[in-house]
Amino acid sequence: MSMPERLETAPKTRQQTLEDQAKEAQRTIDELRARDALKTQFLSNVSHDLRTPLAAIITHAEILREGMLGELNPKQRDSLAGIVNGGQQLLDMIDEILTYVRSASDQVNLACTDFNITELVDQVRMLNQPLAAKKHLTIERLNGDDLPLIYADRDKIKHVLGNLIGNAIKFTPDGGRVWIGFSRRGRGEEELVVEVGDNGRGIARDHFELVFREFAQVDASPSRAHHGTGLGLAIARNLVEMHAGTIWVESELGKGSRFFFTLPLNPPRD
Amino acid sequence: MAARILIVEDSPLITDAFRILFMAAGYEVDVAATVAEGIELGTSTDVDLMLLDLTLPDGNGLEILDALRERGSLPRSTLAMTGHKDPASRRSCLEAGCADVLLKPVPIGELLRQIELHLA
Repeated sequence: MSMPERLETAPKTRQQTLEDQAKEAQRTIDELRARDALKTQFLSNVSHDLRTPLAAIITHAEILREGMLGELNPKQRDSLAGIVNGGQQLLDMIDEILTYVRSASDQVNLACTDFNITELVDQVRMLNQPLAAKKHLTIERLNGDDLPLIYADRDKIKHVLGNLIGNAIKFTPDGGRVWIGFSRRGRGEEELVVEVGDNGRGIARDHFELVFREFAQVDASPSRAHHGTGLGLAIARNLVEMHAGTIWVESELGKGSRFFFTLPLNPPRD
Repeated sequence: MAARILIVEDSPLITDAFRILFMAAGYEVDVAATVAEGIELGTSTDVDLMLLDLTLPDGNGLEILDALRERGSLPRSTLAMTGHKDPASRRSCLEAGCADVLLKPVPIGELLRQIELHLA
């Protein structure tokens, strides 16, 4: 081989190596994506298949609890109420897993309409009122009477608000305070910022990112006071990001937390 | 005479529970687990109310409504049951002739109220 030919060959080989490495990396990415899709499908199938027998258990227990098959004494009724409540809690967790799987795998399509977000906040406040009343908490809306209509998926935003307000109630001690407020940001005030705040136990700075991670809980010990799937905030993040918004938390231990999410005020319409 | 309810649902766990519930509430009950059975029972018996699951092993539950309409055997009322709150699915149920769409699992008090309402 002559000298010039050898010089030409060397860079080609390096390029070839790089191409091979790129192809290998792509193959790995494709394989990981395929495995992730399989895992998602598995989670979705299992969650769906868990719902049916659980729904049957709840229905049978309700039939008995309502005395439709004969009179019950108070202890029997209380015991059946325990089965119904426990079953319902389990069903809610399965539904949360299903919602997460769908929101994380592009199985969710947004059904956007124009709606009044202030009214939606009031509706979610009302739904959470019984839970708040049990802990003697107040849930106030600070402002928002003059907001324009929002173009977004109302059910998804309701889910986000329900999750944030539910968490605020869960992690705020008796007699505390939960609030919802609105502001705008951006040069042309093109984003609406929704804040859900509380004066509860707060979150350490190290955990600001962790709380939005799937299956993560700040206290993951088996003896923790609050149980759940650890998916609520991961779902909220997915749903907000689907609307081209962002979600974050500001908090101080012992003083409370403020969760924020943004929604574009003039998003593109399909 | 007691009103007759046709439950169309492929899970025996659910149909067993509903059968007990509706019989205890004083209704007559038939059960179909497939589209084919739903069409057959819907045609051969006088059904007052059909409780219709959408996902069946041999097709979509709404096909039963189309077939019964063709045969002139539509029940007085049909309530669809679905596992997820999807506006498009709800719309297609109402367009197919369902009186309402219930989200599974329906608490029994609510289910009995809806049935009574649609049989009135």
